[in-house]
Amino acid sequence: MTDLDIIEKTRNRLGDKVAEIAHPAPRRIFITVEPHNLVAVVAGLKKEIGLWYLATISGVDLGDHFELLYHFGHDNGNLTIRTRIPRAQPQVESLSPVIPGSILYERELQDMFGIIINHIPDARPLVLPDGWPAENFPLRKDWTHERTPEIIPGGKK
Amino acid sequence: MKFTIPIGPQHPALKEPISLRMTVEGEVIRDADIRLGYNHRGLEKLAEQKNWIQNLYLTERICGICSHSHATCYVQGVEKLMEIEPPKRGLYIRYLVAELERIHSHLLWLGVAGHEAGFDSFFMYTWRDREVVMDLLEMISGNRVHYAINTIGGVRRDLDDGQAKKILDGLEVLKKRSEFYFKLAASEPTFVARLAGVGYLSKESAMELCAVGPTARASNVPRDVRKDDPHAVYDEVPFEVCTADSCDVLGRAVVRIKELFESFKISEFLVKNLPPGEIAVKAPKRAKPNEVLSRYEAPRGENTHYIKSNGTDKPERLKVRAPTLANYPATVEMLKNGFIADIPLIFAAIDPCICCAERTVALIEARTGEEKIVRFSDLRRLARRRDHPLVSKRNTVWPF
Repeated sequence: MTDLDIIEKTRNRLGDKVAEIAHPAPRRIFITVEPHNLVAVVAGLKKEIGLWYLATISGVDLGDHFELLYHFGHDNGNLTIRTRIPRAQPQVESLSPVIPGSILYERELQDMFGIIINHIPDARPLVLPDGWPAENFPLRKDWTHERTPEIIPGGKK
Repeated sequence: MKFTIPIGPQHPALKEPISLRMTVEGEVIRDADIRLGYNHRGLEKLAEQKNWIQNLYLTERICGICSHSHATCYVQGVEKLMEIEPPKRGLYIRYLVAELERIHSHLLWLGVAGHEAGFDSFFMYTWRDREVVMDLLEMISGNRVHYAINTIGGVRRDLDDGQAKKILDGLEVLKKRSEFYFKLAASEPTFVARLAGVGYLSKESAMELCAVGPTARASNVPRDVRKDDPHAVYDEVPFEVCTADSCDVLGRAVVRIKELFESFKISEFLVKNLPPGEIAVKAPKRAKPNEVLSRYEAPRGENTHYIKSNGTDKPERLKVRAPTLANYPATVEMLKNGFIADIPLIFAAIDPCICCAERTVALIEARTGEEKIVRFSDLRRLARRRDHPLVSKRNTVWPF
């Protein structure tokens, strides 16, 4: 299935849910959707063009918004679904009912950006350590790393 | 009675320190739980503070076995962002190193599989052969592990005719030896029987859990980035996507063996058709605001890098997805309803980077919390002795 077929199918079948379709390079398609349409669009694409492989989810901190990019691979290139959620209310629906392999990437998003994934089957931290302070999200642009002072028991003050 | 066995986080059987908790009933694994992050180095955050060329050396250090994969995935994305086209000769040398790396990684994996199955002479032979390709890589790049041959806009070292001849000679040796040893493995019924039926992952599960690389291809999912998304030279090079339909560790071995021969073919093609000319172009310091998604088929599966630039000499965002992460959910699925004795083999099947040191497993009794230590060598001995009851194993023949 070529890029043009995919774009046309997406426009015809899911046109009302898709805000924008970009085709910046061969075998790269970027689809922009509203966050409340995300699961429906992914389910629709899975049915229409057999999209089953989620490569990863990238989060980008844009200041007052977060951009989420769901990178899907298909037989003939790559399709990315882009959505934006406000920083004040960082919530998005889990993809796991449609793509069960998405949980690890969603858990990573929760850890690194503090995005709340609604209805995720397993919301435990994935990559951050157990004693990690709450409300510290390392990949947000306003977060900087401060090394905790090392205290050697019995050492010099 | 159910027990929970913790494996990891610090465990020599795992390449990265991850923690797995196995819930077992007798000898059968009923559930496996996964906890990552013990080796999280904050690399994506660090990349935002380093410039494009520094990040090249950072990405090369993501992995030790497939160091060239991440560097290449990054560099081919950055070249798109900077709108430069590396010369053909540079690209041929870059992907020649990539294929030689795949050969070394797959030979390493085969040895580990032999070792975990209790066929240690096989392990020693394949690792001896691996030295041939390691020497070739050292000759091309000057390094054995972190080749550092990539630069933004091409490669750093050229090949001369003498080196090209040495590579072809080395490949000839490797091909002959590989054929001989694979026949050897095939004629060893205990080896084939040990791998067959272990770590079953159905095609549906592999697709649902987004498995990648040889793990997915062994479940008959013909997904290979080199074919689906032919980056750089792969649309000019003749090769086949290798799959198997047995969905078990035997299938994963067969896929990697077939891929070895494909890689010999690709490397030969690249050396014989090496175009003349420059090996690199000069790269600018900055990249215009843009974004790019770069994909690369590493020995273990698909690497994905998402790179966003903002007009400065540093990236706005670098997202890295390594293939092993994508294969963890599938591993959990493979372990379910398997045996404790199969754990080393199933892990080895997704991940070739396993140190062969002595290993220990702590057994915690779920009710009393009492811990017992069982050495992994004991588990392996158990594994070798055990008579597997699966019907599919009877009269299994080497499918290659």
